[in-house]
Amino acid sequence: MQLDVQDREYMYSGHVACPGCGAAVAMRFLLKALGDKVIMVLPACCWSIIAGPYPQSTLRIPVIHSAFETGGAVASGVRAALDMKGDKETTVVTWAGDGGTFDIGFQALSGAVERNEDFIYVCYDNEAYMNTGVQRSSSTPYGAWTTTTPGTEWKKMRKKNIVEALVAHRIPYAATANIAFLEDLTRKVKKAKETKGSRFLHIYASCPTGWKLPSEMAIKIARMAVQTNIFPLYEVEGGIKYTINYKPKEYPVREYFKLQGRFSHLTDKDLAQIQEMVNEDWEMLLRKAGEHS
Amino acid sequence: MKKVLEGSQAVAEAVRLAGVGVISAYPITPQTHIVEQLSTYCADGTMNAKFLRVESEHSALAALIGSATSGIRTFTATSGQGLALMHEILHWTSGARLPIVMAEVNRALAPGWNIWVDQTDSLAQRDTGWIQFYCENGQETLDTTLQAYRLAELVNLPVMVVLDAFYLSHTYEPVDVPDQKKVDRFLPPYAPKFQADTKNPCAFGPLVAPDNYMEMRYDIARAMDDTLERFPQVEDEYARLFGRRYGAMEPVMCRDADIVLLTSGTVTSTTRLVVKNLRKKGEKAGLLKLKMLRPFPVEEVREALKGAKKVAVIDRNFSFGASGIFAQELRAALCNLPKHPLVFGYIAGIGGRDVTPALIEDVYWKTKKNKLPDKESVWMGLKEVSDAARRSGS
Amino acid sequence: MPRKKAVAESLRSFPRSYISTEANKTGSWRFLKPRYEEKTAPCSAACPAGEDIARVEILTTQGMFKEAWQTILRENPFPAVCGRVCYHPCESRCNRGEFDEAIAIHNIERFLADTAGRDELKPSLERLPSKKQKIAVVGAGPSGLSAAYFLALLGYGCDVFEASEEPGGILRWGIPLYRLPLAALRREVAQIQGLGVRIFTGKTLSKGFIDEAKGRYDAVFIGCGHYRSGDIGVPGENLEGVEDGLKFLQKMRKGDRVTLESPVAVIGGGNSAVDVARCAVRLGGRAIIVYRRRRQDMPAFPGEVDSALEEGVELMELLAPAKVERDGKDLVLHVRRMKVTGQDEKGRGIVAPDGRKTDKIRVRRIFSAIGEGPEAPWLQPPKGEKSAGVLENCLLLPRGKDPVVLYGGDLTAAIKSVVNAVASGKEAAIALDTLFREGPKAVENVLKNVRVGGGPALSMEAYLKGPRGERSPHVVAYSEINQDYFQLARRLSQPRLLIVERRRTFEEVELRVSANIAIREAERCFHCGLCDQCDNCFYFCPDLAVIRDDGVHRRSINYDYCKGCGVCVVECPRNAMALEEEKL
Repeated sequence: MQLDVQDREYMYSGHVACPGCGAAVAMRFLLKALGDKVIMVLPACCWSIIAGPYPQSTLRIPVIHSAFETGGAVASGVRAALDMKGDKETTVVTWAGDGGTFDIGFQALSGAVERNEDFIYVCYDNEAYMNTGVQRSSSTPYGAWTTTTPGTEWKKMRKKNIVEALVAHRIPYAATANIAFLEDLTRKVKKAKETKGSRFLHIYASCPTGWKLPSEMAIKIARMAVQTNIFPLYEVEGGIKYTINYKPKEYPVREYFKLQGRFSHLTDKDLAQIQEMVNEDWEMLLRKAGEHS
Repeated sequence: MKKVLEGSQAVAEAVRLAGVGVISAYPITPQTHIVEQLSTYCADGTMNAKFLRVESEHSALAALIGSATSGIRTFTATSGQGLALMHEILHWTSGARLPIVMAEVNRALAPGWNIWVDQTDSLAQRDTGWIQFYCENGQETLDTTLQAYRLAELVNLPVMVVLDAFYLSHTYEPVDVPDQKKVDRFLPPYAPKFQADTKNPCAFGPLVAPDNYMEMRYDIARAMDDTLERFPQVEDEYARLFGRRYGAMEPVMCRDADIVLLTSGTVTSTTRLVVKNLRKKGEKAGLLKLKMLRPFPVEEVREALKGAKKVAVIDRNFSFGASGIFAQELRAALCNLPKHPLVFGYIAGIGGRDVTPALIEDVYWKTKKNKLPDKESVWMGLKEVSDAARRSGS
Repeated sequence: MPRKKAVAESLRSFPRSYISTEANKTGSWRFLKPRYEEKTAPCSAACPAGEDIARVEILTTQGMFKEAWQTILRENPFPAVCGRVCYHPCESRCNRGEFDEAIAIHNIERFLADTAGRDELKPSLERLPSKKQKIAVVGAGPSGLSAAYFLALLGYGCDVFEASEEPGGILRWGIPLYRLPLAALRREVAQIQGLGVRIFTGKTLSKGFIDEAKGRYDAVFIGCGHYRSGDIGVPGENLEGVEDGLKFLQKMRKGDRVTLESPVAVIGGGNSAVDVARCAVRLGGRAIIVYRRRRQDMPAFPGEVDSALEEGVELMELLAPAKVERDGKDLVLHVRRMKVTGQDEKGRGIVAPDGRKTDKIRVRRIFSAIGEGPEAPWLQPPKGEKSAGVLENCLLLPRGKDPVVLYGGDLTAAIKSVVNAVASGKEAAIALDTLFREGPKAVENVLKNVRVGGGPALSMEAYLKGPRGERSPHVVAYSEINQDYFQLARRLSQPRLLIVERRRTFEEVELRVSANIAIREAERCFHCGLCDQCDNCFYFCPDLAVIRDDGVHRRSINYDYCKGCGVCVVECPRNAMALEEEKL
């Protein structure tokens, strides 16, 4: 693999992420692609802990930890201050989990994007409130077990489409990315860096612990998510122009679900229904991109 | 230069003079005139500042966390529900030791929707680690706001400048607006003791385990203690330049008073009149205006009240299940003195109801009459609940 | 305390982090431990000479052609030859073949050897210091020359005795020029001589040689090969015009003027038969191969058969010779029709006469190319004797007295091919060296440690204690390759002479490929079991516990921080890592 990133690392070893943590891989490459001159706003999420307990920090950039729901707001404030100080070079980045983005943090995110604040909001998505013990969020996918959707109460709501919600704001740049596709991820980070106004990256970050997945499958499952069209790779510019970055060959969702313990209760009927739902969403995306299946 | 200004405008002038760089606010009656004025100043270039039109009060203060951590002077204003919504971030601000200044217009909390004056909103936040100043008039509001920046940046604690809804925020009074050059001598440009710096990266607000958290909290406590010493010094500097000072509290005719009325906010102005009249009638009445609630000026208050036999506290607020909050604070300050005056608590003016001179005088006579307080809190001026209303509730 | 200091003091304990997390040695969390473990690629296990093929491909992709060429030379002195004439069993076992198409390994081998030749490179090979024993080698064919080559690397002086006037054996006197040009052969023979091996041409040895060798030589390696075709075994085979196919090929290679009347029949189904037929075509005639079984049963390399048929050679299947008669200028070959009655254990058809059906083929010449054997009976290896040590292609007889005698090449090889001859020479060298140093009983154990993938092939690099010896013998299966990292890609197209040209010239049929094409083909190789520094482990480690350094693979794992998640092992596309339980 040849990645167009700096050799320099912006993360130290010794952090306390779970073995096989997808979020750790995602952060590493976000920072390598952004380079120096980044201030990061970090609302409550797994990374609040991974970032290191006092007095340690695992990141080589300034970090402002913030309250759970304030990712979009604190970043707006940082940007305003930097602008007033005449700093045009520093990139303001919010790094939040799915909880702090889709749910409790949605208002602040929507507010910031509506104002077209000049920052990059990165949501690394492990599909539940993992830090507090695997509770359901609106990003938890249809069919998943979590501690608040246990047994027969497994989640019967679809995963909220955060990119579409932001596209409705006519956000200048929004894209999905995946830790198994590092070249695509770094390209999108760099593109985001060059764009002005609000930018959103939705990065799929597998969680072996919360998904009941063997840790060594962390990257493989991420790749399968794209290959099955469950997590398509695409970007939207100006809230209008859709580009699909990867078109996999036929790959049934079954394999993806079978590998993860959080889906072990799904019957063949459930899986068939999910396959239809995935196909439907994919068709919709194709149409938006002006393509046909 | 003397101008006729609303309390809101007095705040806005102070913020302008202070050279604030980022303002972040969400509109709520009766704070709106403050932010509208500032918005205009930012738009027409009178102020060189960014105005963030955030989507909620919670986000307003959160945005300032970001700005202040990035090393710039900040301001926000809110009231009532808005302050309640900010609660989580109020704690965050003091914990982060950020010198943010807020104008808070005392407004009643819902339900019922009530936009008029009530102190419960700001007092419910007295535990959040913010310095709190209760202002009586427009001049004091302007002066206190300027002083707030100097003080906050010295001790690294946020400051809440509190003003009554409508009676202060929307009341026009003559206010001397100081000259910018003079203000600059009093308030130098902001020199942060720490800030987010890409050249010297560090992480603000990380996870802190039990083995370190307590010391951090203790440091906040010490900063509050320091404030008791710092504030008079700041007032000295201000008085030298502008000729005005207020004190953490202002005793009026307390030295030989038997009964002292303790008030805050605009009620103080009315009470000054009442006490004067009582004195004319030969009553040994006194007034203690409490300006600084946090940190509570324990020594000064004890000293001011040492001769009094009784203190009648007029609270325009209430802590349900306990009592009026200024009364509570006073009792706590006095209880360990072997000899201290009795504290009589009175609740008046809740939800913007008028506190008239007659009501205040009634408080005085009630206090004089009773040997001991017969109730912890006496609610003044309550109406009879009608049969019809009572039946509709059952 | 002074005021200013007191205020500064109040910011003493403040929630701000300023040191790194490196003090946490998260390696203590581990209960599984990953490590780099190179394994054996199926191609190298399939190669009788055990060439380190995956390594060769990696070096080729990096443009390190000389190093790649040397990697071959460690196991096989004849890459220019084998790259042309080998039957490449490596390609049949190539894992890429299950993905899209097998790697064109022999093209790359030839490319590397030709490039080294063109640039006149001199190889630097690991060699042991000189030893006192001397070895005599009978026959300068591929097995004899290989034996001498490997013995020279091990420090032994070798004298090679060759009956004809030029070394090369079947490479010089059998395989036609259109398959193996002379310059390529001569270059590689010269390289062997460059190691100090002495070749004495024009020396035919008598059967008393072995006894006479006592005192002068400590061992004799007999690799004289097969230069006689067997008798057809039918009446009329001694008629004029019925000839030995191998002798015909030798005449062609001697450069003798040969006129050939057309048509000719060639009896047999091996490479020699095909070679004879293709030569006949180039001499302007019509050639018919007469074979008793079917095309798919022919022992000749399928590629050769295809080429022959393309060039117009005719193949008559399921016909066995019965009798030869003369009819004026013609020879009439009577044949019996055969039919398939079953299959043997190798899948070859078993045939029997199809009733009494017969046929007649009218030709001008008949060549026999069946049942080959050595020139003289004393050169035949004794039957029923067992080797010291399990040797696939060679026979080692310690005898208990001087000199030790070994047989190799076509005399003893499992499959009669050049690469098996090379393998026999290497086996002889390694076994003999062990025997001299530790005695015959030590041979088997030593061989066990140098086998490639646990199979018959031996590795000289491993024997010389090179890094290859550390490799796990586990042969990487296709299921162990992480296909997510590979895309379908066409195998290179072998450029060849046009058929019309092939029919009228002895010029080499297969043409050169460019460096560009060779590199691209090598890039298709999975590099099964070897680390090619693709960096997946480095990139995907969530703990940044894979570090680039100057270690063997240019990467190592920082066990202070490795949590044992195993992502590196799964994402290694080529199973060059292993995950094992951490010892507590």
